[in-house]
Amino acid sequence: MDEQQNSIDKLLHDMRERAKELNCLYQVEELLTKTQLSLAEVLAQLVHVIPAGYQFSDICRVRIVYDGQEFAPEGFALTPRTQTALIRIEDKEVGRIEVSYASEVPQTEGSYFLKDEHKLLETIAERISRTILHQQLEQVSREWETAQRALSDKNKKEWMVIIELLRRTDQNLYIHLSRKMIYHLFWNGVMEAKELLKTLSKDRDQVPSELSEDMNRPSLRRSQLELLALSDETFRIAARYLSDTEILGRIQKWIQEDKAGFLSRAINNIDLPLVEIINAITHYHYISGGHYELSPPMEKGLRVSLIRRFFSDDLKFINIAKNHVEVRHFYDLVQRIIYPANGYGRLGGKSAGLFLAQKILSTPGEHSEVLDGLKYPKTWYITTDAIMSFLSYNNLEEVNEQKYKEIDQIRLEYQNVVQLLKNSHFPVEIIKGLSMALDDLGDRPLIVRSSSLLEDRMGTAFSGKYKSLFLANTGSKQERLDALTDAIAEVYASIFGPDPIEYRAERGLLDFHEEMGIMIQEVVGRRMGDYFLPAFAGVAFSNNEFRWSSRIKREDGLARLVPGLGTRAVDRVSDDYPILISPGIPNLRVNVTAEETMRYSPRRIDVINLKTGTFETKEIPALLRECGREYPVVEKIVSVYEDDHIFSPSAINLDFERANLFVTFEGLITRTPFIKQLQTILKTLQEKMGTPVDIEFAHDGQNLYLLQCRPQAAAAGNVASPIPKDIADDRVVFTANRYISNGKLPDITHIVYVDPEKYSQLERSEDMLEIGRVVGKLNSLLPKRQFILMGPGRWGSRGDIKLGVPVTYSDFNNTAALIEIARKKGNYVPELSFGTHFFQDLVESSIRYLPLYPDDPGIEFNEKFLLGARNVLPEILPESAALADTIRVIDVPQVTGGKVLRVAMNADLGEALGYIATPLAAADAAEEKGVPAEGPSEDHWHWRLRMAERIAGQLDPARFGVKALYVFGSTKNATAGPGSDIDLLIHFQGGEEQRRQLVLWLEGWSLCLAEINFSRTGYQSDGLLDYHLLTDEDIEKKTSYAVKIGAVTDAARRLSLKGE
Amino acid sequence: MADKSFNAFKMAQQQFDNVAEKLDLDPATRELLRNPLREYHFAIPVKMDDGSVKIFQGFRVQHNDGRGPCKGGIRFHPQETIDTVKALATWMTWKCAVVDIPLGGGKGGVICDPHNLSMREQEQICRGWVRQVVRNVGPLQDVPAPDVMTNAQHMIWMMDEYERLTGAKYPGFITGKPVGMGGSLGRTEATGFGVIYTLREALRELGIDIKKTTAAFQGFGNVSQYAVKLYQEYGGTPVCVSCWDQKESKSYTFIKKSGINLEELLGITDKFGGIDKAKAKGLGYEVADAEAWIQQEVDILVPAALENQINAETVKKISDKVKVVAEGANGPTTPEADEVFKKKNIFVIPDFLANAGGVTCSYFEQVQCNMNYFWTKEEVLSKLDNVMTSAFHAVYGLAKQKKAYMRDAAYMIAVSRVAQACKLRGWV
Repeated sequence: MDEQQNSIDKLLHDMRERAKELNCLYQVEELLTKTQLSLAEVLAQLVHVIPAGYQFSDICRVRIVYDGQEFAPEGFALTPRTQTALIRIEDKEVGRIEVSYASEVPQTEGSYFLKDEHKLLETIAERISRTILHQQLEQVSREWETAQRALSDKNKKEWMVIIELLRRTDQNLYIHLSRKMIYHLFWNGVMEAKELLKTLSKDRDQVPSELSEDMNRPSLRRSQLELLALSDETFRIAARYLSDTEILGRIQKWIQEDKAGFLSRAINNIDLPLVEIINAITHYHYISGGHYELSPPMEKGLRVSLIRRFFSDDLKFINIAKNHVEVRHFYDLVQRIIYPANGYGRLGGKSAGLFLAQKILSTPGEHSEVLDGLKYPKTWYITTDAIMSFLSYNNLEEVNEQKYKEIDQIRLEYQNVVQLLKNSHFPVEIIKGLSMALDDLGDRPLIVRSSSLLEDRMGTAFSGKYKSLFLANTGSKQERLDALTDAIAEVYASIFGPDPIEYRAERGLLDFHEEMGIMIQEVVGRRMGDYFLPAFAGVAFSNNEFRWSSRIKREDGLARLVPGLGTRAVDRVSDDYPILISPGIPNLRVNVTAEETMRYSPRRIDVINLKTGTFETKEIPALLRECGREYPVVEKIVSVYEDDHIFSPSAINLDFERANLFVTFEGLITRTPFIKQLQTILKTLQEKMGTPVDIEFAHDGQNLYLLQCRPQAAAAGNVASPIPKDIADDRVVFTANRYISNGKLPDITHIVYVDPEKYSQLERSEDMLEIGRVVGKLNSLLPKRQFILMGPGRWGSRGDIKLGVPVTYSDFNNTAALIEIARKKGNYVPELSFGTHFFQDLVESSIRYLPLYPDDPGIEFNEKFLLGARNVLPEILPESAALADTIRVIDVPQVTGGKVLRVAMNADLGEALGYIATPLAAADAAEEKGVPAEGPSEDHWHWRLRMAERIAGQLDPARFGVKALYVFGSTKNATAGPGSDIDLLIHFQGGEEQRRQLVLWLEGWSLCLAEINFSRTGYQSDGLLDYHLLTDEDIEKKTSYAVKIGAVTDAARRLSLKGE
Repeated sequence: MADKSFNAFKMAQQQFDNVAEKLDLDPATRELLRNPLREYHFAIPVKMDDGSVKIFQGFRVQHNDGRGPCKGGIRFHPQETIDTVKALATWMTWKCAVVDIPLGGGKGGVICDPHNLSMREQEQICRGWVRQVVRNVGPLQDVPAPDVMTNAQHMIWMMDEYERLTGAKYPGFITGKPVGMGGSLGRTEATGFGVIYTLREALRELGIDIKKTTAAFQGFGNVSQYAVKLYQEYGGTPVCVSCWDQKESKSYTFIKKSGINLEELLGITDKFGGIDKAKAKGLGYEVADAEAWIQQEVDILVPAALENQINAETVKKISDKVKVVAEGANGPTTPEADEVFKKKNIFVIPDFLANAGGVTCSYFEQVQCNMNYFWTKEEVLSKLDNVMTSAFHAVYGLAKQKKAYMRDAAYMIAVSRVAQACKLRGWV
């Protein structure tokens, strides 16, 4: 009993100590940010504040020494019970804080101070250092401004004023500039410079480290003075040989470059923790006063390094990002990053996607006007390694091994893991960061999103596996902070959830070191009554994989819109529907009649209830009655149904009590630029990112906000499936080449085939209705999602039932695919339905739709199999045996010796193929469902590079007038997929005839390679080579592709030509 | 092969032939009424949104205008066929005749799928349709109305085009317009109320006190809701309604033996006629499966949802207590079930009489438009009552006199009225 009591006491004690420390930290922070106080005043007050954070605060005394000054309470004396932390600026010690206990105190683990107290003092010291640095920098920039003003007055020998100033304030830079100047003079043949240079190199031999940064060491004092003298001499020489303007110009350029020098060194040093890099960026921002004037190669290089450091190593990402993300953008970014002490983490995939999209869309272009007013929610980031620091802070590292347990056990233990994490503490620096984040974000509701490394790696295939949580963010600061840390812990816990782990296990990603970044985003929207919500939100895709009309092209895109929070558009909600719009052709609606429009209109809305602080789903009519008057642009969101007529209302006289209101977004689509904006965003992002994208957005009634952006490539189940080319004729069941979407149905065991011919011969409508009923019965008997329905014309025809089997959605909701067969009748082919009667049901339940045109030229339709294979209908449904003539049920494994039907659909090729295949083993089946078929594989780029080398090896430079050949792009970067080109640059110096010959020769290669690639991968193209001939002039002027040659990053690689 | 397959027009002709036989019509009359008087086929060129031009195929069939201007809807359907349109036009002739309104039968359509068309393109089709037949339609010739995949908006476009071409205001050219744009009040109630007006008269004739009756309603849409309302006002006890559950994609029957409370149910019904199951249970309703409505021990069945609901199978489940079936829906009863009704002596108010309240109200819309004076809702409904009541009695009288099944009697009276008109005009 006693022991237990003791341990509880200890626990309480520990917690009390922690609270004291945090409290102390807050107070320190508050003092440091009080701009009206001078530094001396701040330090003087700090010595009274700090003791409160200590275990024995009553006898705790603090002294701060800085710049020769001492700040301490009266009677301060150092005792043996002292703890010290240094105040450093740019690695130089400039002062220290000392904490002493005035009298004897008990020791813990051999120290007078607690472990956390050490950390506390370090943190305080660091904060003080940064504040001092900040103030110093401001001082310097003020001096600089004064000097500049002085210059503009005299307007004469400006450079002299500058170097004079430098000589006083920054001797290192002064010497650095003089060095540059010597080189410059030397290059221009100035003899005196040569002499100086000699003196210098002699010095270097003697003092090898003199150019290094530590020039302030006492032992180097003398050489520093000598150097200054040399420098003065240099500028005197310069003044004789160069014009004032030139000197000024040079100095300015070098100063700019030098300013960035430390930045570049910091960023390129992979051993430096993130904090150093963030400091360097901040520092650079201050000294450059926000005007970044970096030389283009340096800017490019820094961009790439920063992108790599903060976001991703992925070359594809870097290649795109470096063209849009500028060094200065990182300053704003790092202001909102929360990271563990000495961390090295990144921001994760989601953050990377949004950051890049924002930069792309902010680049001025022809679309700027349309995108005017596009905004991005204020976001804070927690780096990916914070989760590990969180776990180790709480000694929970063993949770990491969770993923290697049996899935059942993981499932069983998951709730415990969640509770465990939620009851753990965050390290002080994270708490501090979160507290700053909350102050910055204010009391708007927040969303805590995961942003993991795997999401980054895997594209969208991994999306939605981890949690996102909404927070009302109401109450006192402490309550808000508690709710936030709680939410972060819960999102962290989702890494250890059974679903993501199972998913990773299936894909062999279990050993990937998964770390999760966090995005803390303000929720877009406004308060309406007790609720907080955006006017509307949704998701949009560049490629429309669910076309409801033959007139919609894949690239017309697809948007899913809902009122309120976008959760209902992101996830498929089985009993509710978002509004679907194809931005490229917005006037073609899924639902046409008033009845359809109403039936497939959203009924519920997700909101944040500010009163209860919870996320809620409300009935739309109820919400409109409650706060319709406050709902922004509501007249553009709803339509009124009256007298069989549905119409978009005017803003006045909307009756929320009585009118029959339906969400249609009619006004939004027809009377606002919203769709145009959406389309521009999708088009621009797709073009610049070189891949179709998937975005999330929200609108508060005034502005459109982009919330998320990622490549669309691989939403599970909608991956373009390779079409095998080597299937024997008798194994092909059907092929199709019109209105194909992406996807694959791996193991279909049953085919329900309604024979179009027999069906059209039915005389009585009663018989046709009976076919519909049989289909409904089969739907409940056959294995879910393992059978397909094939039938004539329009499934679920509501008008004339001889045009298609009369079924409703519930009669086929278990099928894997709905296939409509359009057989030629005389000289006309009936128009198919595209599933429009229940299109939205198909979309929400992922049932594939495929139209077949068996009579089209080049189309295979294996009627022999469909009509010849044994019909098991009489066995399954003996009472319907009489209809066995018309409706056939084929048990595929039974008639093919254990094989299955596989349907591969590839919208990129516009082809689909249904064929008999060996069933995949269970594990393979999982892979079939999810792994993107297009991911870069070793094989594709390797083969391409080999081929490029072969081309170079056989290219006779003399015959074709070729000077050099380079390879670049995906082949060089090892990211080539099965459909990639081989990008070549050819430095051409020959004549017209040689050019003709060369093109002919290359075309031959191109065709051959395309053919080989086709047989390797099933990807068809008109040629595999994408080559560009460059002249000497091109290369000199670096026009278009010529910039690739010798570029700072991603330079084209030169290949050896024949005979080289 | 083609002649073996299902053909709506053939079916309409067969139906007519049977009636003609019973009426012993002369060959010329038979020949005339078996086929439409006029059929218009025309092309409608439309400039599409993308700048291309597409040609749509349009129809108008005027089956018979012996009794007055033709009346009938315009359908937009991708697989529209002339046979379907002809059949529907024929049925319109009989429907108008059975309620004795001075109109003939017509139907029209365009082969198109509105799902593939923008609203602007649909507007062009509507206007193109009118341009092609402007000489052959009009308030005094042939009056279109909304039908499959067309609605009030399409009607307004068509009216506007007609008025542009003729240079005058003719709201009576078309019906189904919104109130305030030439539409009539009372249209929402018309069909459901019409069912109950005929039911009231049937019970009176059968000597049954409506106040002592119970009834089961299939469906909870517009028709059913208003039918229940009026039936209850007359003192009857509705014991169940059935409705479609969107979430589960199936129907349920909501039963309260002591009588359902319409207001209470409407309070827990979404805009699609779906009743909240849990809440209904809370209110003391028994929630049973879809077919429970037909098995109820009631005096009256009102199928007011889909076609073919009372068929060879389901008819067996009907309680012996049932005395009257009032067909609110179109074609809810199959011929096999009709035979059972005859055998069991169940009184049927056939669909095209029972649910003719809709077309009657369209006729009222036309009348009001032509005189450019609009009635109150009460006025519309009381006139509707008059029309439905006398229509019922005419059919009932004939059925009694000829000892005919009500459905047959209704056909006989309709056909004979049309035949008579043609004869008087000296056509045959």
